[in-house]
Amino acid sequence: MLRPEPGRPESPRDARPGGGGGEGEGEEGEEGNPFDFAPQPVRLHRDHELFEDGDVLRHLYLQDLYVSEEAEDKRAVSEFACHFSSCSAVFSSLEEYEHHYNSLHRHVCCSCRRSLPSARLLDLHIQEWHDSLFTILAQRQDMYQCLVEGCGQKFRTSKHRKDHLVRIHKYPPDFRFDKTKKNRGTQQTKGQQQKDTAMEVVDEVCEGTSDPPEQGESMETYVCEEEAARMATPASSEEHADVSAADPSTESPSTEPPKARFSYRLVFKQVRWK
Amino acid sequence: MWRLNKVRHKAVRHGDSLEELKLKRREHERALRQARRDRQLVSKRLLLNDDEDQPEVTMDTNTGEQDAVGLFLKLQHGGLGREAHLEALSKVLRDPSAQLAFLKQENSMHLLVGFLTGSDATCRLQAVRCLHELSHSPHASVSSACLPATPYLLTYLSGQSTKFSELCLYTLGNLCPDSDAVKEKLLAQGIIPALASCLENQRHNLAVVEAVGFTLSQFLQAKNAAEKIIPAVLASSLPSNLLSVLTPDPKFGLAPAIECAWCLHYLACSMKDNRELLAHGALLQCSSLLVSLGGAVAEGNKEEGLELFICPLLRCVGNLLSSCPVKELSTQAGDVRIVAALCTLVQAFLQSRPALARESAWVLNNLTALSSASCSALLTLNLVPGLMKLLPFSQGINTMILRILANIAHKKKHFCAQLTRCGLLSALCATLKMADQEMVTLSMDVLYMLVVGGPQVAEEFVKQGGFPLLEALQYNGEGAIRRRATHLLERHLLSCSSYCSENVPCS
Repeated sequence: MLRPEPGRPESPRDARPGGGGGEGEGEEGEEGNPFDFAPQPVRLHRDHELFEDGDVLRHLYLQDLYVSEEAEDKRAVSEFACHFSSCSAVFSSLEEYEHHYNSLHRHVCCSCRRSLPSARLLDLHIQEWHDSLFTILAQRQDMYQCLVEGCGQKFRTSKHRKDHLVRIHKYPPDFRFDKTKKNRGTQQTKGQQQKDTAMEVVDEVCEGTSDPPEQGESMETYVCEEEAARMATPASSEEHADVSAADPSTESPSTEPPKARFSYRLVFKQVRWK
Repeated sequence: MWRLNKVRHKAVRHGDSLEELKLKRREHERALRQARRDRQLVSKRLLLNDDEDQPEVTMDTNTGEQDAVGLFLKLQHGGLGREAHLEALSKVLRDPSAQLAFLKQENSMHLLVGFLTGSDATCRLQAVRCLHELSHSPHASVSSACLPATPYLLTYLSGQSTKFSELCLYTLGNLCPDSDAVKEKLLAQGIIPALASCLENQRHNLAVVEAVGFTLSQFLQAKNAAEKIIPAVLASSLPSNLLSVLTPDPKFGLAPAIECAWCLHYLACSMKDNRELLAHGALLQCSSLLVSLGGAVAEGNKEEGLELFICPLLRCVGNLLSSCPVKELSTQAGDVRIVAALCTLVQAFLQSRPALARESAWVLNNLTALSSASCSALLTLNLVPGLMKLLPFSQGINTMILRILANIAHKKKHFCAQLTRCGLLSALCATLKMADQEMVTLSMDVLYMLVVGGPQVAEEFVKQGGFPLLEALQYNGEGAIRRRATHLLERHLLSCSSYCSENVPCS
């Protein structure tokens, strides 16, 4: 935006060869040295875009519309919004956003738009809910995998799996185990009718916290922000280490750096200046 | 005059909720921004009556038009009550459609000019108020209708009451932007010399100073100002007088200084060669003002409207620096405390007015590009770590900061050593990963200077895990980036002892 241009008459100091005259040039005459930085004062003409904001402020003042920054609704540099168009969450720190994103938007089932807390649970969900082959095979053999990674046991029904999880892996009995499809039927159609994606799931799911436990919960963790926040603290999630919400450390560690990079890229798109 | 301690909002009407106010303000801002992009950003000012607190346009349009015509007829008829009629007329003329109705009457302007030049002082004042209301009209046709009055307004600029002078000045200032024809006429009628002598004679009268500043700024913003207007201004006593009133008066407030500062900015940014301004000591004065303002801001003094004053000063210093001959630099910008002030301003405005933070950084770039003393000061005053913290911020601030650091590194080898001690290498490891190509290129330029500046820097860089960053950049889409990365790797980093023989960095 403000690259000074050597050789233009406005900046008279650019004509020095190699620039600067300072000592830090070292191998300046050397063949193929691509470094050509030279300190360059920049002259900005009246209509330069860099002056836009200040000019607007000036004229707001002339027209009696000036508001001092104290009176103004300050939008901090770091405030940004989730990039999902239907998601209206706003954050003031990167960690918050990353957490939100990982909880709500990262592992979303394409078919039913549900948000799952991890890649593995997403895989299981797709397999158990949207794979007709699975349904067929399940009639004849143990197909329901234990949710705890590394356990490897399989069960004939989801109820058996739940019992196993409670008995062996010490899950609390009122943990959000998989609902049967029947119970979620009405909500499912509602989810599919609406256009929006993950946010609808969140709405649904958040509303679901008011459901009495007997109606069944789903394997997907409820991703209301408070829930997600609670489950994120490592200490409290030790008991349900493998199925707790956005705890990527339990997933394969090698995936972590790429995840982080992806989030940052999203975030920088959204960092907005006033 | 505008007292900033009484912030007025045109958009405020009783009953407007806070949300509505904010919405209206955003609308206005958007409109101004678009106007700026179209290079059509102009404003007019309305001087309110002493009993008024806000501009009121509450009357019914039809009544306004009828009243205007009715009053005109009464005035034309003559007789007693002229002063009252004129006063009533000035209030009626606040309404744009009443203005048009009035001007449609034949000889209406002739009548006003008659009162303006008549023997009755009260009528003169009321007549000029009527003209002032007319000048504020959004319709361009109205301003050209006012042209017959302008020679008299110019004559009256000095030697009248403060209120009268103010009204004349703001009226002229409002008429200026409406059309080139109006501007031409006013210039031909000698407005620049008139403003110069008004300012010269009324320097003590800050309300008039403010009005002169505003009116002059209107002319200086004209599209062809550089050819037609500015040379005349520079040749007059205006620059030195503007500078002499630049220091704000604590009792009166910032407003006159704000107007004068904006005039100086328009002068400095329109001309390539600023020798007249430099000769008047403009750079020196603006710099020292910034030093004291920076100090005030650092102490937490956030006087309302300070940014309206700081902004044009920054611009003056930035542009004057780039025009300043090197040998004059130490006299004009010798006070190195300005680097501290600029750093303070960058930090202070970062969240609330990021554009001003950017402008402050721009000035610091110009300063460090030209002055070795300023580079040294940044180091000795320990301001570099604070600057480095700004490197993650986007939208032009980080590139400007990196440029500043590059300017420092470029000056002397032992500056490089000091920069390295401030932790610049690890900051570069972060900036080398950024998506912005300019940041990446600049980062490598800085790294190159640091590496060349001292033998152990390359080792340190590799130890901090910088090697794979450069390797990755060898595959960058930009040739300039690839070449720099390759050069650094092959010529400087491969010889590091911390670089393992298996071609894998040991970190």
